[in-house]
Amino acid sequence: MSAPLAKEFLTEEVRRYHHFITLALWLAAITGVEIVLIFIPLPLAVIFTLLCLLSAVKFFAVILWFMHLIYDHRLLFWVFIAGLALAFATFAALLALFHVDRIDTKWFS
Amino acid sequence: MSQVAESSHAPTSTGIDHKKLIMWLFLASDCMFFGTLISTHLIYRKLYPTGFTDAEGHQHFVQRLFDIELTSFSTFILLMSSFLMALAVSAMHKGQIKSFRRNVLGVIIFGLIFLGCQVYEFTHFYHMGLTIQNSVFGSTFYVLTGTHGTHVAIGVLWLILLYFYSFTGKLGGHVGALDVEVAGLYWHFVDIVWIIIFTVVYLIEYLGPNGFWGTGLPIAK
Repeated sequence: MSAPLAKEFLTEEVRRYHHFITLALWLAAITGVEIVLIFIPLPLAVIFTLLCLLSAVKFFAVILWFMHLIYDHRLLFWVFIAGLALAFATFAALLALFHVDRIDTKWFS
Repeated sequence: MSQVAESSHAPTSTGIDHKKLIMWLFLASDCMFFGTLISTHLIYRKLYPTGFTDAEGHQHFVQRLFDIELTSFSTFILLMSSFLMALAVSAMHKGQIKSFRRNVLGVIIFGLIFLGCQVYEFTHFYHMGLTIQNSVFGSTFYVLTGTHGTHVAIGVLWLILLYFYSFTGKLGGHVGALDVEVAGLYWHFVDIVWIIIFTVVYLIEYLGPNGFWGTGLPIAK
Protein backbone atom coordinates (compact mmCIF):
# COMPACT_ATOMS: atom_id res chain seq x y z
CA MET A 1 0.00 0.00 0.00
CA SER A 2 1.26 3.49 -0.72
CA ALA A 3 2.39 5.77 2.12
CA PRO A 4 -0.46 8.34 1.85
CA LEU A 5 -3.00 5.50 1.77
CA ALA A 6 -1.39 3.90 4.81
CA LYS A 7 -1.51 7.21 6.67
CA GLU A 8 -5.14 7.78 5.71
CA PHE A 9 -6.00 4.23 6.74
CA LEU A 10 -4.33 4.63 10.13
CA THR A 11 -6.08 7.95 10.73
CA GLU A 12 -9.39 6.26 9.97
CA GLU A 13 -8.60 3.40 12.36
CA VAL A 14 -7.70 5.88 15.14
CA ARG A 15 -10.98 7.73 14.51
CA ARG A 16 -12.91 4.46 14.78
CA TYR A 17 -11.03 3.61 17.97
CA HIS A 18 -12.36 6.80 19.59
CA HIS A 19 -15.86 6.01 18.30
CA PHE A 20 -15.67 2.59 19.95
CA ILE A 21 -14.72 4.09 23.31
CA THR A 22 -17.54 6.65 23.14
CA LEU A 23 -20.01 3.98 22.09
CA ALA A 24 -18.98 1.63 24.92
CA LEU A 25 -19.62 4.44 27.44
CA TRP A 26 -23.03 5.15 25.89
CA LEU A 27 -23.97 1.47 25.95
CA ALA A 28 -23.06 1.19 29.64
CA ALA A 29 -25.02 4.39 30.38
CA ILE A 30 -28.11 3.18 28.48
CA THR A 31 -28.02 -0.14 30.34
CA GLY A 32 -27.89 1.82 33.61
CA VAL A 33 -30.89 3.91 32.52
CA GLU A 34 -32.81 0.72 31.64
CA ILE A 35 -32.23 -0.70 35.11
CA VAL A 36 -33.30 2.55 36.79
CA LEU A 37 -36.38 2.82 34.54
CA ILE A 38 -37.98 -0.38 35.81
CA PHE A 39 -38.11 1.06 39.34
CA ILE A 40 -39.74 4.36 38.33
CA PRO A 41 -43.50 4.43 38.95
CA LEU A 42 -44.60 5.34 35.44
CA PRO A 43 -47.41 3.72 33.41
CA LEU A 44 -46.46 0.25 32.22
CA ALA A 45 -46.93 1.14 28.56
CA VAL A 46 -44.54 4.12 28.86
CA ILE A 47 -41.78 2.12 30.52
CA PHE A 48 -42.22 -0.81 28.19
CA THR A 49 -42.00 1.46 25.14
CA LEU A 50 -38.92 3.19 26.55
CA LEU A 51 -37.23 -0.13 27.29
CA CYS A 52 -37.93 -1.36 23.76
CA LEU A 53 -36.60 1.87 22.28
CA LEU A 54 -33.42 1.82 24.38
CA SER A 55 -32.89 -1.82 23.54
CA ALA A 56 -33.28 -1.03 19.82
CA VAL A 57 -30.80 1.85 20.13
CA LYS A 58 -28.22 -0.47 21.73
CA PHE A 59 -28.91 -3.17 19.16
CA PHE A 60 -28.40 -0.89 16.17
CA ALA A 61 -25.43 0.90 17.75
CA VAL A 62 -23.61 -2.41 18.07
CA ILE A 63 -24.43 -3.64 14.56
CA LEU A 64 -23.62 -0.30 12.93
CA TRP A 65 -20.37 0.57 14.69
CA PHE A 66 -18.93 -2.47 16.45
CA MET A 67 -19.93 -4.76 13.57
CA HIS A 68 -18.79 -2.13 11.04
CA LEU A 69 -22.04 -2.11 9.05
CA ILE A 70 -21.87 1.65 8.81
CA TYR A 71 -18.45 1.42 7.14
CA ASP A 72 -19.10 -1.76 5.13
CA HIS A 73 -20.74 -2.70 1.86
CA ARG A 74 -24.46 -1.82 1.88
CA LEU A 75 -25.40 -5.37 0.81
CA LEU A 76 -24.29 -6.75 4.21
CA PHE A 77 -26.68 -4.40 5.97
CA TRP A 78 -29.63 -5.60 3.87
CA VAL A 79 -28.66 -9.25 4.29
CA PHE A 80 -28.83 -8.82 8.06
CA ILE A 81 -31.99 -6.72 7.98
CA ALA A 82 -33.66 -9.45 5.89
CA GLY A 83 -32.97 -11.98 8.66
CA LEU A 84 -34.18 -9.52 11.28
CA ALA A 85 -37.37 -8.78 9.32
CA LEU A 86 -38.12 -12.49 9.00
CA ALA A 87 -37.59 -12.90 12.75
CA PHE A 88 -40.07 -10.09 13.47
CA ALA A 89 -42.53 -11.50 10.94
CA THR A 90 -42.30 -14.88 12.70
CA PHE A 91 -42.98 -13.18 16.02
CA ALA A 92 -45.98 -11.28 14.62
CA ALA A 93 -47.38 -14.47 13.04
CA LEU A 94 -47.00 -16.43 16.29
CA LEU A 95 -48.59 -13.61 18.26
CA ALA A 96 -51.56 -13.62 15.89
CA LEU A 97 -51.88 -17.40 16.09
CA PHE A 98 -51.70 -17.53 19.89
CA HIS A 99 -53.90 -14.57 20.70
CA VAL A 100 -55.61 -16.30 23.65
CA ASP A 101 -54.70 -14.91 27.06
CA ARG A 102 -53.83 -16.92 30.14
CA ILE A 103 -54.44 -20.64 29.77
CA ASP A 104 -53.50 -21.54 33.35
CA THR A 105 -56.68 -20.12 34.87
CA LYS A 106 -56.80 -22.79 37.59
CA TRP A 107 -54.16 -20.81 39.48
CA PHE A 108 -56.51 -17.85 39.70
CA SER A 109 -59.63 -19.70 40.75
CA MET B 1 -14.09 -2.63 5.77
CA SER B 2 -10.68 -1.03 5.74
CA GLN B 3 -9.34 0.28 2.46
CA VAL B 4 -6.39 -2.03 2.73
CA ALA B 5 -8.52 -5.08 3.28
CA GLU B 6 -11.01 -4.11 0.59
CA SER B 7 -8.33 -3.71 -2.01
CA SER B 8 -6.47 -6.90 -1.16
CA HIS B 9 -9.03 -9.70 -1.14
CA ALA B 10 -9.57 -11.85 -4.19
CA PRO B 11 -12.08 -10.36 -6.66
CA THR B 12 -15.65 -11.48 -6.04
CA SER B 13 -18.89 -10.75 -7.91
CA THR B 14 -20.29 -8.81 -4.94
CA GLY B 15 -17.07 -7.00 -4.09
CA ILE B 16 -17.29 -8.48 -0.60
CA ASP B 17 -14.97 -11.13 0.75
CA HIS B 18 -16.79 -14.48 0.77
CA LYS B 19 -15.88 -15.33 4.37
CA LYS B 20 -17.46 -12.13 5.56
CA LEU B 21 -20.55 -12.47 3.39
CA ILE B 22 -21.11 -16.03 4.58
CA MET B 23 -20.75 -14.97 8.20
CA TRP B 24 -23.38 -12.25 7.69
CA LEU B 25 -25.71 -14.76 6.01
CA PHE B 26 -25.21 -17.11 8.95
CA LEU B 27 -25.94 -14.28 11.41
CA ALA B 28 -29.11 -13.39 9.50
CA SER B 29 -30.25 -17.01 9.76
CA ASP B 30 -29.30 -17.08 13.45
CA CYS B 31 -31.46 -13.98 13.87
CA MET B 32 -34.44 -16.02 12.71
CA PHE B 33 -33.42 -18.87 15.02
CA PHE B 34 -33.26 -16.63 18.10
CA GLY B 35 -36.34 -14.73 16.90
CA THR B 36 -38.28 -17.99 17.07
CA LEU B 37 -36.93 -18.89 20.51
CA ILE B 38 -37.66 -15.43 21.93
CA SER B 39 -41.14 -15.41 20.36
CA THR B 40 -41.89 -18.84 21.82
CA HIS B 41 -40.79 -17.71 25.27
CA LEU B 42 -42.87 -14.52 25.17
CA ILE B 43 -45.98 -16.20 23.81
CA TYR B 44 -45.87 -18.94 26.41
CA ARG B 45 -45.27 -16.36 29.14
CA LYS B 46 -48.45 -14.70 27.93
CA LEU B 47 -50.36 -17.99 27.87
CA TYR B 48 -48.97 -19.31 31.18
CA PRO B 49 -48.18 -16.15 33.16
CA THR B 50 -47.88 -17.63 36.62
CA GLY B 51 -45.14 -20.06 37.36
CA PHE B 52 -44.18 -23.62 38.07
CA THR B 53 -44.65 -26.41 40.57
CA ASP B 54 -41.56 -27.94 42.15
CA ALA B 55 -40.98 -31.63 42.96
CA GLU B 56 -42.68 -31.25 46.36
CA GLY B 57 -45.78 -29.75 44.79
CA HIS B 58 -45.17 -26.17 45.93
CA GLN B 59 -46.23 -23.45 43.53
CA HIS B 60 -43.68 -20.75 42.65
CA PHE B 61 -44.07 -17.46 40.83
CA VAL B 62 -41.60 -16.67 38.09
CA GLN B 63 -41.30 -13.05 39.15
CA ARG B 64 -39.68 -14.07 42.44
CA LEU B 65 -36.87 -15.99 40.74
CA PHE B 66 -34.87 -13.34 38.97
CA ASP B 67 -31.91 -11.47 40.40
CA ILE B 68 -31.63 -8.13 38.62
CA GLU B 69 -28.18 -7.34 40.06
CA LEU B 70 -26.66 -10.52 38.65
CA THR B 71 -28.31 -10.12 35.24
CA SER B 72 -27.30 -6.46 35.00
CA PHE B 73 -23.73 -7.41 35.85
CA SER B 74 -23.77 -10.12 33.14
CA THR B 75 -25.14 -7.62 30.63
CA PHE B 76 -22.46 -5.07 31.47
CA ILE B 77 -19.75 -7.73 31.16
CA LEU B 78 -20.99 -8.82 27.74
CA LEU B 79 -21.25 -5.22 26.48
CA MET B 80 -17.69 -4.51 27.58
CA SER B 81 -16.49 -7.74 25.96
CA SER B 82 -18.02 -6.50 22.72
CA PHE B 83 -16.10 -3.25 23.12
CA LEU B 84 -12.82 -5.14 23.64
CA MET B 85 -13.61 -7.28 20.60
CA ALA B 86 -14.02 -4.12 18.49
CA LEU B 87 -10.61 -2.97 19.78
CA ALA B 88 -9.09 -6.38 18.97
CA VAL B 89 -10.38 -6.18 15.38
CA SER B 90 -9.08 -2.62 15.09
CA ALA B 91 -5.67 -3.73 16.40
CA MET B 92 -5.48 -6.51 13.78
CA HIS B 93 -6.31 -4.04 11.00
CA LYS B 94 -3.40 -1.92 12.20
CA GLY B 95 -1.17 -4.98 12.42
CA GLN B 96 -0.70 -4.60 16.20
CA ILE B 97 -0.63 -8.25 17.21
CA LYS B 98 0.26 -7.61 20.87
CA SER B 99 -2.66 -5.23 21.28
CA PHE B 100 -4.87 -7.83 19.58
CA ARG B 101 -3.77 -10.49 22.09
CA ARG B 102 -4.41 -8.23 25.09
CA ASN B 103 -7.88 -7.30 23.91
CA VAL B 104 -8.89 -10.78 22.85
CA LEU B 105 -7.70 -12.15 26.20
CA GLY B 106 -10.00 -9.61 27.85
CA VAL B 107 -12.89 -10.80 25.67
CA ILE B 108 -12.18 -14.42 26.63
CA ILE B 109 -12.09 -13.57 30.36
CA PHE B 110 -15.31 -11.54 30.13
CA GLY B 111 -16.96 -14.34 28.16
CA LEU B 112 -15.97 -16.84 30.84
CA ILE B 113 -17.31 -14.55 33.57
CA PHE B 114 -20.62 -14.31 31.69
CA LEU B 115 -20.79 -18.09 31.40
CA GLY B 116 -19.97 -18.41 35.11
CA CYS B 117 -22.87 -16.09 35.95
CA GLN B 118 -25.17 -18.16 33.76
CA VAL B 119 -24.09 -21.42 35.40
CA TYR B 120 -24.69 -19.81 38.82
CA GLU B 121 -28.13 -18.61 37.72
CA PHE B 122 -29.15 -22.00 36.32
CA THR B 123 -27.94 -23.77 39.47
CA HIS B 124 -29.86 -21.31 41.65
CA PHE B 125 -33.04 -21.79 39.61
CA TYR B 126 -32.63 -25.56 39.73
CA HIS B 127 -32.36 -25.47 43.52
CA MET B 128 -35.48 -23.30 43.60
CA GLY B 129 -37.24 -26.16 41.83
CA LEU B 130 -37.32 -24.89 38.25
CA THR B 131 -36.31 -27.58 35.78
CA ILE B 132 -36.58 -27.81 32.02
CA GLN B 133 -39.38 -30.37 32.43
CA ASN B 134 -41.67 -29.09 35.17
CA SER B 135 -43.16 -26.03 33.49
CA VAL B 136 -43.62 -24.27 30.19
CA PHE B 137 -41.60 -21.35 31.58
CA GLY B 138 -38.73 -23.70 32.54
CA SER B 139 -38.68 -25.21 29.05
CA THR B 140 -38.68 -21.95 27.11
CA PHE B 141 -36.38 -20.10 29.53
CA TYR B 142 -33.68 -22.79 29.70
CA VAL B 143 -33.80 -23.47 25.95
CA LEU B 144 -33.55 -19.78 25.07
CA THR B 145 -30.85 -18.73 27.55
CA GLY B 146 -29.09 -22.09 27.22
CA THR B 147 -28.87 -21.70 23.43
CA HIS B 148 -27.46 -18.22 23.92
CA GLY B 149 -24.99 -19.56 26.49
CA THR B 150 -23.91 -22.25 24.02
CA HIS B 151 -23.27 -19.52 21.44
CA VAL B 152 -21.14 -17.65 24.01
CA ALA B 153 -19.22 -20.85 24.82
CA ILE B 154 -18.54 -21.47 21.10
CA GLY B 155 -17.38 -17.85 20.76
CA VAL B 156 -15.02 -18.20 23.73
CA LEU B 157 -13.58 -21.42 22.27
CA TRP B 158 -13.12 -19.74 18.87
CA LEU B 159 -11.32 -16.78 20.44
CA ILE B 160 -9.08 -19.04 22.56
CA LEU B 161 -8.05 -20.83 19.36
CA LEU B 162 -7.39 -17.50 17.63
CA TYR B 163 -5.38 -16.30 20.64
CA PHE B 164 -3.07 -19.31 20.57
CA TYR B 165 -2.95 -19.32 16.77
CA SER B 166 -1.61 -15.77 16.89
CA PHE B 167 1.59 -17.13 18.51
CA THR B 168 2.33 -19.28 15.47
CA GLY B 169 2.97 -16.17 13.41
CA LYS B 170 0.42 -17.22 10.80
CA LEU B 171 -2.28 -14.81 11.96
CA GLY B 172 -1.23 -11.72 10.09
CA GLY B 173 -1.91 -9.59 7.06
CA HIS B 174 -5.25 -9.29 5.37
CA VAL B 175 -6.29 -12.92 5.85
CA GLY B 176 -5.54 -12.80 9.58
CA ALA B 177 -7.38 -9.50 9.99
CA LEU B 178 -10.37 -10.93 8.14
CA ASP B 179 -10.40 -14.09 10.30
CA VAL B 180 -10.44 -11.93 13.43
CA GLU B 181 -13.12 -9.68 11.96
CA VAL B 182 -15.36 -12.66 11.20
CA ALA B 183 -14.89 -13.99 14.76
CA GLY B 184 -15.66 -10.47 15.97
CA LEU B 185 -18.93 -10.39 14.00
CA TYR B 186 -20.00 -13.60 15.69
CA TRP B 187 -19.10 -12.25 19.13
CA HIS B 188 -20.97 -8.98 18.60
CA PHE B 189 -24.00 -10.95 17.42
CA VAL B 190 -23.99 -12.90 20.68
CA ASP B 191 -23.96 -9.53 22.44
CA ILE B 192 -26.92 -8.09 20.50
CA VAL B 193 -28.97 -11.21 21.14
CA TRP B 194 -28.34 -10.73 24.85
CA ILE B 195 -29.40 -7.06 24.59
CA ILE B 196 -32.83 -8.31 23.45
CA ILE B 197 -33.01 -11.18 25.95
CA PHE B 198 -32.08 -8.83 28.81
CA THR B 199 -35.03 -6.58 27.99
CA VAL B 200 -37.76 -8.99 26.93
CA VAL B 201 -36.98 -11.89 29.26
CA TYR B 202 -35.64 -10.20 32.39
CA LEU B 203 -36.47 -6.48 32.61
CA ILE B 204 -40.14 -6.67 31.64
CA GLU B 205 -40.81 -9.09 34.51
CA TYR B 206 -40.32 -6.11 36.85
CA LEU B 207 -42.87 -3.83 35.24
CA GLY B 208 -46.26 -2.69 36.44
CA PRO B 209 -48.02 -2.89 39.83
CA ASN B 210 -49.41 -6.32 38.90
CA GLY B 211 -46.41 -7.63 37.00
CA PHE B 212 -46.08 -7.31 33.24
CA TRP B 213 -48.05 -10.50 32.62
CA GLY B 214 -50.84 -9.48 34.98
CA THR B 215 -50.29 -12.17 37.60
CA GLY B 216 -50.73 -9.71 40.46
CA LEU B 217 -47.22 -10.50 41.62
CA PRO B 218 -44.57 -8.02 40.62
CA ILE B 219 -41.07 -8.80 41.81
CA ALA B 220 -40.42 -7.32 45.24
CA LYS B 221 -38.46 -4.10 44.67
